[in-house]
Amino acid sequence: MGKMIYSIIKASEEPTQITEVLSGLRGISGANLEFVQCADIIAVTCSAERKEVVADRSNTLDYAGVIDELSKTCTLLPVRFGSVMESEDDILKMLERNYQGIQNNLDKVEGKVEFGLKVFCDTEKLKSRPEIFGEENIKIFDKPPGRQNNSVYLDYVNKKLIEYRIEEALLLFVNSVIKEITDCCISVGANGKFRKMVNQNNIIDALFLVERSKTNGLIGVVKELQVKYPDLDFILTGPWPPYNFVDITIS
Amino acid sequence: MSENKILFSTGNLDGLAEDIGKMTDTEGSKLKLHPDNADSGLAKLVLTLVELIRKLVEKQAMRRVDGGSLTDEEVERLGETLMKLEMKMEELKKHFNLTDRDLNLNLGPLGDLM
Amino acid sequence: MNENVIDRSRDITILEVLDRVLNKGVILTGDIVISVADVDLIYLGVKLMLSSVETMEKLKAGKH
Repeated sequence: MGKMIYSIIKASEEPTQITEVLSGLRGISGANLEFVQCADIIAVTCSAERKEVVADRSNTLDYAGVIDELSKTCTLLPVRFGSVMESEDDILKMLERNYQGIQNNLDKVEGKVEFGLKVFCDTEKLKSRPEIFGEENIKIFDKPPGRQNNSVYLDYVNKKLIEYRIEEALLLFVNSVIKEITDCCISVGANGKFRKMVNQNNIIDALFLVERSKTNGLIGVVKELQVKYPDLDFILTGPWPPYNFVDITIS
Repeated sequence: MSENKILFSTGNLDGLAEDIGKMTDTEGSKLKLHPDNADSGLAKLVLTLVELIRKLVEKQAMRRVDGGSLTDEEVERLGETLMKLEMKMEELKKHFNLTDRDLNLNLGPLGDLM
Repeated sequence: MNENVIDRSRDITILEVLDRVLNKGVILTGDIVISVADVDLIYLGVKLMLSSVETMEKLKAGKH
């Protein structure tokens, strides 16, 4: 009988607290939650047979729910869904072997929560109104110097050149928005990671690690950003347990 | 887990809805090679790569044109080459019945290919 | 119109949850792990998760 690991949490000074917290929760398919303790770190688990653990809607949401509840009262590192080890003994050994890395990560996320900020826009629509990008666009429609003749090939190049310049202006614009977001987040002490131009619609995909107490501050920052950029759509989600801020692979 | 985690949005969720639509589109961007569609599956793969390279070459060329260091003649020749390349790609896409959307792979964490 | 926004909000939340739970967090690898979540599960998994065709149809319909 395997054991699936939900998360790794920091043990509190009260030894009975973990039992109390877990007794009030249920894991996937209503499973009881157990734990394996190694010094001051605890792996939260439940019994699992590999073939019974299916990544379907219900299981994954139950799983996320457990982690979410735990994160309200504990410092924790979420574990990826589907991590099943053979026995509690194996889990204990794993915790011992990786103790330092786990501790470092727990310290990093203590008292903090994760937020996701996605910025959307219709890039095709924006490209048809390059004035939105700012002064860079002034140069977009300039013919390169020395272009005298006309020919179908030169026309083609000019067309492509304009497309290229608009694309470059868009990238510069995205960089400037990221800079603006970063500057505005200084006031809430947010640690941010950014992905640019994820696809046609999603120009920025950002993640922040912030002290829980600064949640409202961050919401306020995003509201201001939305006002500053009426042609973009900001979507802020959270607070999340720190899924994206754990950098440890355990083997 | 029943909480709504959205803290702020304009209510215009079209962009995200499209993303969700793409992700639930099981016909879509994931390449699947089965014995019966191996030919077109392979064609899709090859054309995707060719298209990617073509776009990169085009971008690089435009960067040079914009830099102003090319003669009129060079620009004209570049235009001819690029135009013919694009026309060839259109022919191939039509031949294999592939759209731009078909050729745009979703690379997961890296976003869309193009 | 309002209903659509609520539906979408819920689906967006689910999408975000699944992306985290299936792709992120501490990753256990190696022989010691009988892992269920393999790489292909990642984006294929997200597709499966939001599997309800009705949801997708609703979203597409809601756009117009």
